[in-house]
Amino acid sequence: MLKVENLSKEYTTPNGPLRILSNISFNLEPGSAISIMGPSGSGKSTLLYILGALEPPSSGLVSLDSLNPFSLRPKELAAFRNRQLGFIFQDHCLLPQCSVIENVLTPTLVAERNGDVTARARDLLKRVGLGERIDHRPAQLSGGEKQRTALARALIMKPRLLLCDEPTGNLDRKSADVVAELLLEVVDSDTSLIVVTHSPELASRCPRTLELRDGCLQEAK
Amino acid sequence: MTTASLLKQSLLYYWKTNLVVVLGVATAVAVLAGALLIGESVRASLRDLASSRLGNTDVVVTAPNFFREQLATDLAGPDVGTACPLIVLTATVANQNSNQRAGSVALYGVDDRFWKFHNRQFSAPQNRDAYLSQALAQDLQVKAGDALLLRVEKPSDIPLESLHGRKDDPGRTIRTTYSQTLASTNLGEFALRPQQGAQRAMFVSLQFLQREMSEPAAVNTILVSDTQKGRSSNQLAQSVQSSVKQNANLADDGILLRPLIEHRSISLETGSKVISDRLHEVINGAASSLALKTTPVLSYLANRIYSGEHSVPYSLVSAIDDEQFKLLAGNSGKLDDRPIIVNEWTAKDLGAKPGDNISLDYYLWNENGTLDTKSAQFKLVAITPITGIAADRDLVPSYPGITESANLSDWDPPFPIDLSQVRKQDEDYWHEHKTTPKAFIPLRLGQLLWRTRFGGLTSLRIQIPEDRSEPDVAAMFASRLQTELPLDVAGFQVIPVRAQGLESSKGATDFGEYFLYFSFFLVVSALMLAALFFKLGVEHRIRELGTLYALGFSASTIRYLFIIEGTLLSLQGSIIGVAGAIGYTALLLYGLRTFWIAAVGTTNLTLHLSWQPLIIGAAGGVISAAICIALTLRRLGFQSPRALLSGSADVDVYPKTRRNIFSPSRLAMVAIALGCLLLVSAFLHLISQVPAFFGAGFLFLIASILLISAWLIRPSQRVISSEGFRGLAMLGFRNASAHPGRTTLCIALIAAAAFIIVSVDAFRRSGAEENDRKSGTGGFSLIAESLLPIVHDPNSEYGREALNLNTSSDLNGVKFAPFRVKPGDDASCLNLYQTSNPRILGVPASFVSENRFSFQSSLAHQAAEAANPWLLLDQPLPGGAIPVIGDANSLTYVLHLKLGEDLVIDNGGSPIQLRVVAALSDSVFQSELLMSEKNFLKLFPAISGFRYFLIEQPNASLVTQTSGALENQLSDFGFDVESAAARLAEFHRVENTYLSTFQMLGGLGLVLGTLGMAAVLLRNVFERRKELALLRAVGFNSANFAVMVITENALMLFGGLIAGGLCALLSIAPVLIERGGRLPNLSLGFLFLAIFVSGAFVSLIATLAAIRSPLIPALHAE
Repeated sequence: MLKVENLSKEYTTPNGPLRILSNISFNLEPGSAISIMGPSGSGKSTLLYILGALEPPSSGLVSLDSLNPFSLRPKELAAFRNRQLGFIFQDHCLLPQCSVIENVLTPTLVAERNGDVTARARDLLKRVGLGERIDHRPAQLSGGEKQRTALARALIMKPRLLLCDEPTGNLDRKSADVVAELLLEVVDSDTSLIVVTHSPELASRCPRTLELRDGCLQEAK
Repeated sequence: MTTASLLKQSLLYYWKTNLVVVLGVATAVAVLAGALLIGESVRASLRDLASSRLGNTDVVVTAPNFFREQLATDLAGPDVGTACPLIVLTATVANQNSNQRAGSVALYGVDDRFWKFHNRQFSAPQNRDAYLSQALAQDLQVKAGDALLLRVEKPSDIPLESLHGRKDDPGRTIRTTYSQTLASTNLGEFALRPQQGAQRAMFVSLQFLQREMSEPAAVNTILVSDTQKGRSSNQLAQSVQSSVKQNANLADDGILLRPLIEHRSISLETGSKVISDRLHEVINGAASSLALKTTPVLSYLANRIYSGEHSVPYSLVSAIDDEQFKLLAGNSGKLDDRPIIVNEWTAKDLGAKPGDNISLDYYLWNENGTLDTKSAQFKLVAITPITGIAADRDLVPSYPGITESANLSDWDPPFPIDLSQVRKQDEDYWHEHKTTPKAFIPLRLGQLLWRTRFGGLTSLRIQIPEDRSEPDVAAMFASRLQTELPLDVAGFQVIPVRAQGLESSKGATDFGEYFLYFSFFLVVSALMLAALFFKLGVEHRIRELGTLYALGFSASTIRYLFIIEGTLLSLQGSIIGVAGAIGYTALLLYGLRTFWIAAVGTTNLTLHLSWQPLIIGAAGGVISAAICIALTLRRLGFQSPRALLSGSADVDVYPKTRRNIFSPSRLAMVAIALGCLLLVSAFLHLISQVPAFFGAGFLFLIASILLISAWLIRPSQRVISSEGFRGLAMLGFRNASAHPGRTTLCIALIAAAAFIIVSVDAFRRSGAEENDRKSGTGGFSLIAESLLPIVHDPNSEYGREALNLNTSSDLNGVKFAPFRVKPGDDASCLNLYQTSNPRILGVPASFVSENRFSFQSSLAHQAAEAANPWLLLDQPLPGGAIPVIGDANSLTYVLHLKLGEDLVIDNGGSPIQLRVVAALSDSVFQSELLMSEKNFLKLFPAISGFRYFLIEQPNASLVTQTSGALENQLSDFGFDVESAAARLAEFHRVENTYLSTFQMLGGLGLVLGTLGMAAVLLRNVFERRKELALLRAVGFNSANFAVMVITENALMLFGGLIAGGLCALLSIAPVLIERGGRLPNLSLGFLFLAIFVSGAFVSLIATLAAIRSPLIPALHAE
């Protein structure tokens, strides 16, 4: 499903090019989940943003279901992200002006309507334990609840790939456990999961863990 | 969840930020729509004022001389409408009780028909009763029963500047009694010519005024009101013209037909005792069409006919055409050697015989106001018996004071005569022959000696053919002449006053345009402020943008959402702005009616709501705001989603990798290049200096702001390592460059305000050097205007005697420059109405040679003309255009004329093409155009005398006494004197008041700039609260924070001030140089103070905010 080949990323700095990622290659099958670990500054988030088609690689190939998103025009790329990818960030990135269900429904605003998305949003919120909080504003939620809302939002478009950047980084242990459990629950034959994390607990819940060190990706020991 | 609900939620959630954006747009819309609305309000106010003062009057029929009152009744009918006769004069009025005096009062002689005409139930004044307008009553401080003395010009058909014109006392004093003050609703402010100032009007009984003017049943004006609907003013005027032609008789036209039965002829004379060349042509045409023969006659008074030792005093001499002369002379009349024929009585008295030399002494009135005695020599060719034409006493028209006298010694002519010269035989001749001419000369010689600008004939004889009766011929000729006589030759003018008034009310000055120009910076400031706050709002929501991006929203969709949001905010702002525009306009109009009244001179300006300016203003505001917001958002597309998501994106900065040909520094270079191009063009005289420098200054202002922007976004190379103040200051500067867009916007706001305040101030004018011949007063101390024409030259001994100016020692050494005046619209900034027919002064040749006043520009091609542009007034121009000079201000702002451009004015139905040949620089001649006296007399021969005087008193300490003495000695002429410097200051006051108005708008811009600066400083402090908390934790104290914040503030304040101030100084360089390089220190000082105070206030607030920021939560957050 996801194929990464010889992926590299460099940034230009006043002191010359700075290489972040170097010749990274891996595959991800449908319904699988992997976690990526590594020290701060190792390029975990950069890799995730490249996989999420938010940032282009300097070289190498990324394809999802044989489609290279970076070959798409900007509007097609946006639509690709909307339909194929789901994001969860460490900072939940909820819209403070919108209610919980509105936040979940946000991706549907730019998508072709497919069925009763509101009902699906309600279902997802029930699934993440927020069925009673759908009209609440983000400011009225706890950190864990916000992150669960973000998870529901990430799932509303039934993405092929769920990308999570430190999803439990801001959560207490209990909330982190709940979120981790939910993340793995969503992995099925249609949806795969990549989690970038510092947390060994979260990483250990994934069947496969990769480690990013000095720009190179390798199986964790 | 829909896009609409997302927008709604966002608008509500970020209401605080949005409110400021809405208010910014509202301010811009209010200012923009307000500027347009004020223009509309001024126009509508002027229109209402002109219309209300006209009452029901649509068209006016007027003539310089009186005509039958009955003509009004004859005119009225279904074709024309209703008509009302009245007398309209200009008077000076004095209240004997309060000793108050008012000049230029509109005096109306009216009866009940006047109010009936205007559909008012009101009784006309009776006997000596006088009704006054409110303004006049106030000026005169009247109370019931006060005696009011009027001074008006005495009606006279005989031109003052002809020998027989009554020059010494051209006025009449009338005593009236104040009865009541007329409210404007009862036509108390009735006026036929629009003017925005208070109307000083007086109404007296028509019959009473007719009696006092010795013009029974006669008037000089008829008001016409159209009763047909849907007719244009031109159609009505044409109907009235036809009706006047049809109903007026020759007497109304000032033409007299006198049947001379014994001579089988009709004598045609005019009330003026002179037949103009145009009238002569028309008469000849009418006579020819009836196969009638005319014989021209020019009779004149000789003070003396003499030959050798013998002379005959005060004799009438007739110049007759060659045919008549030859008939009278018999065969001896040779016309080529100055022949003269005398009658037998004269030949005997002189002892003259054919072949003798005969001389005539006669008076000649010069157009410069002097009376000369001239002599002419002739050869006696024949002596005629007093029979036939030689016995025709009707060859001489009736002259008041002469022809009706029983004795020659009873003559009372308007020129000096020595009655001691009159002998018994002269009296006997008078008793027997009255005005029978004693001598005859050929017409061509007579016209050479006695022709004036009014004409070259005194009468025309129409011979009655043998086969026709005198009454038939007289009736037929009168009818034909009346038909063929053009109205303007007859002296009638039909003026569509309502149409003209409404046209004039479009205004000389488009206030909307001016307020728009000068509000431009304010509008831009408000929009920049709105954009700044919108930008701050976007920056606050930067992570939201990243989230939307990650969720599959494309950059264009996000931008679209924000543009919609911004547009919705703009729409809300525009709705508030429309209400604000109404309030803003009302406030400005209140200002114009009160503390800025000097700019408009009227309290009659009221708010007139009109949807058009409001809609245009609102649309302009919304579109401008949307563009500003779109420009703010355009940079979002260059930001990395990751940066957006992390909140580290800076929408101020373009990505370095993007090749940006429109970088600030490149744009600045383009602006500088364009500015330099303008300056070079100005130096090469390719374009005018003032607009070129202003344009260059404006371009440099833009360049300065762009360069500051470029400096702010440049990568910082220096490490802040200094200790103490320097280090803190550098940190402050670095803070300012953290958000270059915000900082640039603030600097731009302040720079724009500083630019407008400084540049506008440079145009303020101060007084003129009174003794400087090149100053705005021309070195004259006083200006005088006279109600009645003065025909004597006050510089000559004879003129001074005639005017009784020799008795006052205060007038010793005083010199006068007298000007002729053709009344017209005030062409100065004191008149808000559009000027289509400006007042014209005739400039005497003596004044031209003095080369006074300074010129801003001229069409001079030769060195002499360049040295003295007044000489251009005498240059013949192609196409028959008449050269005129005007004040540069009046030409530019009121008449809207440039050098070399033409203005076509109406002169009683015939157009005159005036061409501007030079522009005076800031002079007292702002109310008029000036043409040479020679051209003036050619174009307006009927206008007699001088009514405008520039007066030079070499002794400055005697100016006040001179002014008083002149007003006293010439009070019979309604002579009003004022200081020339005061007149100039009056014009300056108007200009300066306009500038104050516009500076206030600049000041408002400064307020907006300060608000923006406060917002940016507070925002910067708020965003850096974690850093500040950290700094406090490591030992920064309040003073350290103050230095840091003040430095950041100072960069914005002084960056804006210096950029705006220096560019403004460049813009106004030509004006400064013209004024001797004097800077507007006072207002600049005020500006510095205002900016210092506002800056200090903002810094204080920002510092307090920094110090009071909670330490622990901020550090925890970190």
